[in-house]
Formats: sequence, structure tokens, C-alpha cells
Amino acid sequence: MIRFLLKGILRDKSRSILPIAVVAIGVALTVVLSAYMKGAFGDMIDQNARFETGHVKIMSRSYAENKDQLPNDLALLGVEALKNTLDTEYPQMEWESRIKFGGLIDVPDEEGISKGQGPAAGIAINLLDENSKEAQRMNIETSLVQGKMPKKSGEAIIGHDFYEKLDLKIGDVFTFFGTTMEGSMTFKNYQVCGTIRFGAGAMDRGILIIDIKDAQEMLDMEDGTGEIVGFSKLNVYDDQETQIMAAEFNARFMDDQDEFSPIMMPLRAQNNLGEMLDYSNFMSGIFIFIFVFAMSIVLWNTGLLGGLRRYQEFGIRLALGESKGHIYRALIFEAILIGLIGSIVGTCIGLAGAYYLQIVGIDASEYLENSSMLMPSVLRAKVLPYMFFIGFIPGLIATVIGTMLSGIGIYKRETARLFKELEV
Amino acid sequence: MNQETIIKINNLTKRFPVGEGEFTALKNINLEFFKGEFSGLVGPSGSGKTTLLNIIGSLDSPTEGEAIVLGKQISKLSHKESALLRNKHIGFIFQVYNLLPVYTVFENVEFALLLQNIPSEKRKKMVNDALEWVGLSSMANKKPDKLSGGEGQRVAIARAMVKNPEIIIADEPSANLDAANAHAILKTMKQMNKELGTTFIFSTHDEKVMGYLDRIIHLRDGMVEEDEIINVNHAP
Ligand SMILES: Nc1ncnc2c1ncn2[C@@H]1O[C@H](COP(=O)(O)OP(=O)(O)OP(=O)(O)O)[C@@H](O)[C@H]1O
Ligand SMILES: [Mg+2]
Repeated sequence: MIRFLLKGILRDKSRSILPIAVVAIGVALTVVLSAYMKGAFGDMIDQNARFETGHVKIMSRSYAENKDQLPNDLALLGVEALKNTLDTEYPQMEWESRIKFGGLIDVPDEEGISKGQGPAAGIAINLLDENSKEAQRMNIETSLVQGKMPKKSGEAIIGHDFYEKLDLKIGDVFTFFGTTMEGSMTFKNYQVCGTIRFGAGAMDRGILIIDIKDAQEMLDMEDGTGEIVGFSKLNVYDDQETQIMAAEFNARFMDDQDEFSPIMMPLRAQNNLGEMLDYSNFMSGIFIFIFVFAMSIVLWNTGLLGGLRRYQEFGIRLALGESKGHIYRALIFEAILIGLIGSIVGTCIGLAGAYYLQIVGIDASEYLENSSMLMPSVLRAKVLPYMFFIGFIPGLIATVIGTMLSGIGIYKRETARLFKELEV
Repeated sequence: MNQETIIKINNLTKRFPVGEGEFTALKNINLEFFKGEFSGLVGPSGSGKTTLLNIIGSLDSPTEGEAIVLGKQISKLSHKESALLRNKHIGFIFQVYNLLPVYTVFENVEFALLLQNIPSEKRKKMVNDALEWVGLSSMANKKPDKLSGGEGQRVAIARAMVKNPEIIIADEPSANLDAANAHAILKTMKQMNKELGTTFIFSTHDEKVMGYLDRIIHLRDGMVEEDEIINVNHAP
């Protein structure tokens, strides 16, 4: 009997090729889009974590409130002690100080007269400590366009476009003018050791990267920092865990009376990333739901049309003594088979597409040039193990539900009426 | 002569809902069919022939009264039981021969046996025998769309007889055939009737068919107008 049904499916293209194609296309779309959504959102979150928010970030309360203004006058103090505490309390995390600062770069000519100037967005990170992963975390080495990494105090990396605009050369010295923590003017000479381009609009504008110690010295922030970022040593962001950690830390160390007391913020609480996280989870969920729903309707209709076309066949089969239940089960069997084949084909196509998008990605830099959001400029898909079967669930369920719905027509009709179609 | 009752119809009335009201297609029918009969329902269009055949074939059930086929009361059968009755004991031949288009001649004939879970070797033999009966052994692997009308109707006969049913119901089997083909299939069926003892019930307008029948039941407006026995030597 099964062989008999298989023959029917194989020989009747409208019973096989068409629905298989519909299922395969739907499944492929689901796989590609969920991989892409996962990848793009994941990259976005990851990029934000690495460059900006950490998995958690500690600032002074008032710094946190004004952090868009880079208020280094509100910086955290007593950093050594705080980091020691953090290391013992949260050994699963790595803690690093970062200072963001603004100022002006001035490039002198041979006579010492300014030949070029520009506003700089400075970031100071732990570059010179061999144990620090900060450079790697921020992809600095791989993003270098010219030159090499700083090896000693006084060396700086500068944004490549900025570097060209200022007409600098590797090894040239420039002067940075800024404001100390106390608000007095400060300046320091740096030697350009490398140029960088992250490929993210927001990051690349006027960027200046120096070692944290240089910055602390220059800005009178010994034992102070704008922020301390924490990363899980496994480098996996755990939404739940970081929230608990932050709540616990704040309960212990935050002082409502002291605006300079530290506050820990999980990634979720920064830069609207919480909304983004929720949105991405919500979207993946909704997407799969909508897919199942839409596919069910499409397949229901394909099933209905196929069913109408097949009423004559059902009539004959009834007359030959097949029961309605048997016909219905045979239809479901066909649906499972078609759903399965369609899902396999679709998953293969979808995974191939997703892998392609994982390797190649879609370059969105054009759209992101002027965006202030921290986003990778090439959005890549991410293929995860669950995507090998995610398409099967909707592909199979939708096909079977569609068939079940359309097949009910067989039961609804009187045997004689189904049979009557024969007389036409 | 020992006449075994195979179908008994008592006070059968069939009404169809039509719009708000009802249409009475069969009125108070009383009939008895015997094993081995080669009988036919004859009457103008709309007189209720198909309706009555459908009830006998358990594709439909009476509104009032009863139809007892092979000892089973049609109105009391479940979906499953009526399917089983059709599958094992009743063969159908229709006006349009209605073969399943994606299957070969062999597979079309085989289908009813598949439903009965008959093992493949035995099935093969039965199908080949049936095809031989109707003279289509050479066409076994052809698809229905490659057959002529007469050949198609012969496949339908083979399909009805392959399971060796007690009853074959043939609703205007010759309507789409030319005279030569009509005679050919009727001869085949008459031969089956003689050799296998299969009971045949036809519905027809066709004079050619009537010439073969040994009992003609005239229907008019859903009622039996005349029950005409032509040849009492129908018993096997
Ligand atoms: N399902 C139905 N619903 C409503 N009316 C029906 C239905 N089936 C049959 N009828 C009516 O019952 C009457 C008898 O129909 P039936 O098909 O039995 O006639 P028939 O003798 O087979 O005619 P023909 O020679 O044209 O095949 C017709 O008037 C037909 O319109
Ligand atoms: Mg009729």
C-alpha cells in the first residue's frame, strides 16, 4: 500500500513537485532568515559588548547618568582596590579599565607650526599589559591599516582616514590637547605607530587609541577610570547571570547618598541593548510562528486545490472499498513524506545560503556610515546547530496541518456526494 | 429451483434535501434480488436508478425503510463496515470508466486487493487472471490515457471482478461505447455471470444492454413500475 501511495506521489507532479517546492522554499527562507537574524543581532550585541558596554560595566553613579558627555570629572576613583575586590568576588569575569576622552590633535611641521588639526575621540585601554585581551577584544591588530601595535608608552594608533586627513606618517609625532579630570588643560605628545579602520561608522570618526596608563597620567586620573568593563572569561554573554550579578553588586557597593559610588550595569541596561535583545528573541519567535501560520495557509490551499482535483480519485477509492479514514490517513502520510522531503531540501538550501551569508555577509556600511549606533558594517548570518532542524518543525507541521484541514472536506462530504463527482 | 436472496429492499424511500424542502428520489420500493441474477434498472433520466444502485452499493443509505445486502442492513453500517462491504463483496462499473490516471492498468486492477492485504504473489496472479478474462493481458503496463473507451471499460470490469465479488453494480456501463464495444463487454459480463455466478445489477437506457438482461425492473418517478422476468433460467 505504501508503495502504491509512493508511486502516486512520484508520478503525479502536482502532488509532489509543487508542494515540495513550496515547503522547501518556506523552510529555506526560515533557515536563512533565522540564521541571519541570529547572526546580525548576535554580532551587533557582541560588537557592542566588546567595544562599548562589556558584558557588564561599572561606572560612578553620576558618570553613568551623564556618560554621553564623557564626564571624566565624575570618574571612578580607587580603581586598584575596586578591581582587586572584583577579581576575588567575580573570578569568572575579566575586568579592564577604559577611559574615553575627547580633545584636539595638532600636527606640527618642522618649524613647530601647526600644519593640521582635528577633533579626536580618544579611547584608552590596557594595551601594553601582556595579559590583557583588550586589543584582541577590540580587533585592533586585525583592523590596522598601516603600522603596528603600540609597544611602549607614548605610542598611539590613529584612525586611518583621520591620519590621511592630517597628512601624518607612521613615526610622526603629534600633540593631543585635552582636559584633565579636574578640568585643567593638558597636552602630551604621541608618536603614531599605526592606523586603524574598524569599518564601523561610529567607531572610525577621529579615533585615537592609547594605553590606559598614558591616559591616566595625562588626564590626572591615577587610580581613576571612566569605566570598568567586565567580560565573562568564557566570552559568552549570559543575559540572566549578568543581571543577577549587577543587582547583587549594586546592593553591596552602590550608595544612594554618594553620587561617586560605583554602579554596575549589565549589557542589557545599556544603549537600549535590552530592547534589542528582547526584540531579537521576540522576532525569531514571531518569525517562526508567522512562517508556520503562513505556510499552513498556503499548503492548506495547495491541499484544498489538490484535494478538489482529487475528489474523483477519492470517489473511486471509496467505491473500491477504501474507508474515509484510510484515505485521510493516506493523505496525512503523503503530507508527512512531502513535508519531510521539502524540509530536507529546504534545510539544505537554507543552510547553504546561511553559510554563504556567514562567510560573505551583507555589507551594510553604506547605511551605517552616519549611524551613531555601534554596529558591525558587514552583517553576517550565524549557523547554529538548531538550524539544522528548525525548518523541519514548521515545514512538517505546516504541511501536515494544511493537509489535515483540507482533508476534513473528505469527512464532511457524504460518501454519495464524493462519489457523485464521478458522474460528471 | 433454489433461489438464494442476496439483496432485499423493504419499503425503501430516499429523499434528498433540496433548498428549503426535500426531493423524493425513491418512493416505497420493495424489491428482492437473487444470487446469480443478471438484472437491470431501466427508466427515464431522473427516475432514481443511480440512487437505488448507490444504496445497494452502500455508498448512500435509505431515508426510510431498509436495504439488506448480503445479510447486512445498509443504514446500520458504519463508514468502515460499508467500506469493507464494498471492498470485499461489491464491484462497481460506472458510465465513465473512472480509472486512476497515475496508475497503470495492472495497478488499477490491483488496488482493491491491496486494500485487502492480499500477499503480492497471489495478488499478481489474481490481477493477471482478471485481465485475461477481459482480454487485456497485453495492456497491463499501459496508463489509462493510452486506452480506448472499450478497453477502459474492460479494465473497469476487470477491476470490479478481480476480488471475485458476489455483486457487481454497473451504472450505464455502455453509455459511452459504440455498439461493437458495448456487445463485447456485455458478453464478457454475461460470461462471468454464467461461469462465476456473479450477480449483476445494471442501470441502463440502452436497448443493447436490455437484450442481455434476464430481468428488467422499470422505474418511473422513483417507483417500481414493472418488474419483468425475461429468462427464469438465470440460476447457476
Ligand atoms: N444528492 C442529491 N441531492 C438532490 N437530489 C438528488 C441527489 N441525487 C439525486 N438527486 C435527484 O434524484 C433524482 C434521481 O436521480 P438519479 O441519479 O437516481 O436518476 P437516474 O435514474 O440515475 O437518472 P439518469 O438516467 O440521468 O442517470 C433526480 O431527479 C436527481 O436530481
Ligand atoms: Mg444515473
